[in-house]
Amino acid sequence: MKMKEREDKYGLAQIGGVESPNEVEGDDAAPVGRRTFLKMAGFSMGAATLAGCSRGLERNVVPYLTLPEEVVPGRAYRYATVCGACPAGCGILAKNLDGRPVKLEGNPDHPVSGGGLCPIGQASVLGLYDSARLAAPLTDSQPVAWDEQDLEITGKLETIRNGRGAVRFVVDSCSGPAERASINRFLDSFPDGRLITYDPLSVSAIPDAHLATHKVRALPVYRFENARVIVSFGADFLGSWISPVEHTAGYRSGRDPKFPEQFSWHAQLESRMTLTGTNADRRWTIEPGSTGQALSQLASRLAGHHGVDDSLPDGALNEIAGRLLAADRGSAVVVCGVNDPETQILVNTINDMLGAYGSVVDLAASSKQRVGDDSAILHLVDELTADGVDAIFFRDVNPVYDLPSGSRIGAALDGPMVTASFASMRDETSTRCRYACPEPHYLEAWGDSEPVNGTVAVRQPVMRPIGKSRPLLETLAAWSGRPASAREILREHWRTRVHTRGRGGLPFDSFWDQTLHDGRADVEPLPVRHDAMDRTAARPPQQLASRREGSFVLELYPSLAVFDGRHAHNPWLLEMPDPITKSTWENFASLGTEAAARLDVQTGDEVRIEAVEGEALTLPVVVQPGQHPKLVAIALGWGRSGTDRFAKIGPQWLEGKPTVPGGGLVGSATGSLTTGTEVGIVATGKTRDLACTQIHHSLFVPEKLAIPGHERRPLVRETTLAAHATYAAHHEHPSLWPEHTMEPHHWGMAIDLTACTGCAACVIACQAENNVPVVGRDEVFRAREMHWMRIDRYYGREGDGQDVDVVHMPMLCQHCDNAPCETVCPVQATAQSAEGLNQQVYNRCVGTRYCANNCPYKVRRFNWFDYPREDRLQNMVLNPDVTVRSRGVMEKCSMCVQRIQETKSTAKQEGRPIRDGEIQTACAQTCPAQAITFGDMNDPESQVTHRKNDSRHYLVLDELGIKPVVGYLDVVRNRDEKAEPDEHA
Amino acid sequence: MKTRILFLLLLCAVILATISLVKSGSRIRLAGNDQGYQPAQPIAYSHRLHAGELAIPCLYCHSGAEKSRRAGIPAAGVCMNCHRYVTDVLGAVRAEEKLAGEEGRDPVPQTSLELKKLYDALEQGEPIVWKRVHSIPDFVAFDHRPHVAAGIICQSCHGAVETMERVRQEASLSMGWCVRCHRDLTGRTEAGKPVNPPLDCVACHY
Repeated sequence: MKMKEREDKYGLAQIGGVESPNEVEGDDAAPVGRRTFLKMAGFSMGAATLAGCSRGLERNVVPYLTLPEEVVPGRAYRYATVCGACPAGCGILAKNLDGRPVKLEGNPDHPVSGGGLCPIGQASVLGLYDSARLAAPLTDSQPVAWDEQDLEITGKLETIRNGRGAVRFVVDSCSGPAERASINRFLDSFPDGRLITYDPLSVSAIPDAHLATHKVRALPVYRFENARVIVSFGADFLGSWISPVEHTAGYRSGRDPKFPEQFSWHAQLESRMTLTGTNADRRWTIEPGSTGQALSQLASRLAGHHGVDDSLPDGALNEIAGRLLAADRGSAVVVCGVNDPETQILVNTINDMLGAYGSVVDLAASSKQRVGDDSAILHLVDELTADGVDAIFFRDVNPVYDLPSGSRIGAALDGPMVTASFASMRDETSTRCRYACPEPHYLEAWGDSEPVNGTVAVRQPVMRPIGKSRPLLETLAAWSGRPASAREILREHWRTRVHTRGRGGLPFDSFWDQTLHDGRADVEPLPVRHDAMDRTAARPPQQLASRREGSFVLELYPSLAVFDGRHAHNPWLLEMPDPITKSTWENFASLGTEAAARLDVQTGDEVRIEAVEGEALTLPVVVQPGQHPKLVAIALGWGRSGTDRFAKIGPQWLEGKPTVPGGGLVGSATGSLTTGTEVGIVATGKTRDLACTQIHHSLFVPEKLAIPGHERRPLVRETTLAAHATYAAHHEHPSLWPEHTMEPHHWGMAIDLTACTGCAACVIACQAENNVPVVGRDEVFRAREMHWMRIDRYYGREGDGQDVDVVHMPMLCQHCDNAPCETVCPVQATAQSAEGLNQQVYNRCVGTRYCANNCPYKVRRFNWFDYPREDRLQNMVLNPDVTVRSRGVMEKCSMCVQRIQETKSTAKQEGRPIRDGEIQTACAQTCPAQAITFGDMNDPESQVTHRKNDSRHYLVLDELGIKPVVGYLDVVRNRDEKAEPDEHA
Repeated sequence: MKTRILFLLLLCAVILATISLVKSGSRIRLAGNDQGYQPAQPIAYSHRLHAGELAIPCLYCHSGAEKSRRAGIPAAGVCMNCHRYVTDVLGAVRAEEKLAGEEGRDPVPQTSLELKKLYDALEQGEPIVWKRVHSIPDFVAFDHRPHVAAGIICQSCHGAVETMERVRQEASLSMGWCVRCHRDLTGRTEAGKPVNPPLDCVACHY
């Protein structure tokens, strides 16, 4: 770039033009001889060198006028706040550099996040710099001033108030207590005002069931760390169910092979393959819709009755009931992901029999992460259809898109009532509303949260808002005629409602400051009074409806990338490989192996999914082992309006195909289809290839090169808890290479595959930390995705196509001590550091790609293009500590060397050695399961050394003798059989 | 014929360019090397006066060097620590005092033309846009902290700034120049602190 500007500045291009031999061929001139040409070339070179001597690009440096207190330019600060990407309410630390957040990390002091963060939370910082966010309020799609719009709305609201009209305010569980109080105050000024909470990913049946059984409508907190036996009926609690980060941390802490007697046993009974199912010790595939019967049988078995076992696979009921009964009282739990009150009442009955209440299922703490009520929204749809509403407001929800009855709501919104949306971007609901009152991104606004009764936190802004958005608190205050700043309103709420519950007797100002600093506070939980279990509430489940021959049952499930669709404008998440299918940029229909064979379709074939009532959807198929043959599963959250803007994402080159097909959207919306619908499936005969990364960067030996029978290398070691106890330590291979001594540190990493759930948080954390570009669908097809870290998913022990074991293996540069990439680089652009890092020097790399070819782990990524970074606002998310790579250079995991250097600097400044655990790579930091440990292998007491000395530790492709510093701890499943460690690929 | 004319034209151009460069005092060097760069700054701030004559420590203004990667240009507020009181050269103030004494009136507050730019910037809230003198490419991550902590004196890299009226880039800031020190400087620094400077690529390039 710099060079180009220089050339322009000094007009070298013109000199070159005159110099071109073609130009000098004149009528009278002899043809230019070799000597003349060389002379000319010599002169132009000389001229260029001289011209290059004076400074080309003047750079300005603009200091502050008055330095804000405590700010040192160039230094990163971390502010504690609360993640707003989903209603789980994880506490986060936002890393702020020069006035803007560039990276989010879980707050280790917050009980919900425990230091971890999911991929959606990691990616939500990119949403802050989305240039599609509204910069000003809109009335009838025209930008207006806030006071102008306020005047119009308050005038209309006054009329409604006087006419005793109905005002409805629709929110989801993301709204914090202060916001809910503020909305309630606003609604109280109307004779008929009502707050309606619904969650697109609803678990409303659980509170409903507790209302029936315990006389309190509350969602319990699930403490998986207290469970020794976990039986999940389709609840994806590690992936998308209620609070995955919290559940993952709890689940993982109960599964340490060092303490085999405390290692939990996890059985998953489900129809589709969930992320949680891939981690289960035992997994059974059950017929869709049969969860009620299965639970009912389990309940009667636990009560001592032996009935006929027909809706559960052979032996499953015996094994599950045996395990549940053998467990200590209060250490077993049953969870269920079916959103049906009758089914959940059965779950409550079983949990009560097991004594789970009070230990694993905590009803007194009660979660506020999903407070939605399905019946309220159904009632609202009826009201809207009957024109019974005069004003309606939407916050954080998009019912036109995410409700099956969305089109009816949309039609009703076109009526004469007052309609307003607080969405920060134009969405399906917002475009149908007369007023758009955009709210700032959650990182720009004040708010609060109480995800679990008694755990409160303030959401503080970490930068000044971009554009003229206004927080809800301020908008409501303006409409109520008492304008105030969001901070004042929030402080007032905390003074009167939260501080009074505080412990420790701090005065309010200190309490507030302490809460802001810590990112949380413990206050007295609000009392949750519940009765003892009413066991008579359970009713026999409905019989399975008879279905047409050859029909399928539809299941719509939350996407692990775009959630319910609210993150469908986040290119990081769109390009994140789905943890199970590894598909990117696409929606698809999962079919079981058997079903696919029956329909004679393969992955990539297009099918038409038709509901009985005419609604149809065309999607490519993914053949998914471990799925029930009668089920077709489709992810929610795709096909959002406006995603056609990603058509041109990625490099625009001659053969480049758009990421989004002509005029379409990213993925297909599921429309009015709902879970449980009976559908027919017809193959259309067309194919639509999926941008799926599973076969990219494969560690298999190409068939032509392999020794027969050795195409598959042993990469993953799997064992059972019983066999693990008697395991011998791993033996060392002899090496022909000289030994290296790394001084003063030898950085290393250990990844515990037993803990890893495959959630892909590390992939996105790495992307955010290391400025990894998004390449677009077409480039993913060409295996050119740039992620430095990928998670390889392996299927093992494929039985009858339904019962499969799945292993997730995070794969990144292994920083081998005898790295094969280093020996083939002709320009020494990659070399070993004194501390054992495999360094990649971008400005030295000439792009031969020999290193990538010679890397046995296939972790090197080549910049085929200067990936477009045209959106200047989005570039604000770039981490200034890491170079943005240009075209033609190789890149790969650097072990977050910028963090190592930063910590070294700090330690040197403070005159102390680096403490163990002080340096955390982005992937290790974000892992909710703490599966990744980074540290100094020279320190005998470091955590990573302890893991390296574990008998479970092994190196991938150890036989090559290249001594990777990244090691893995094998997968341990809680099974009785003493199988030998199973090495498979 | 055409070839010859072109040849002569080019010869003239090269000679003219050389003369102009030699006149401007710079030496011939490779592209990207800005050694000797000495731009005019928006305010004619004199390091010779402040750092030399008045012996204000470098870190008083460039305090970032101890706490951050960047030494940083001081905020205008830092200047005001002194220039709230010092508004002009002493001679001018004394002269006015003398004149006022002779004329039997109160002295008029004196403000130098250069300092007025500072006061105007603060009054109007318009930051001062300085010209950056020492600049290294984006693929180099230089951190002031370990160098300051090791006791490397500022002048080792920045030259005798206390003698410069206008700051000039003294060193070439090339990789060879960095590495020479990292290679040669083992044992102890001028300040007597033990050092072991890294020679790894990733010490600077990431």
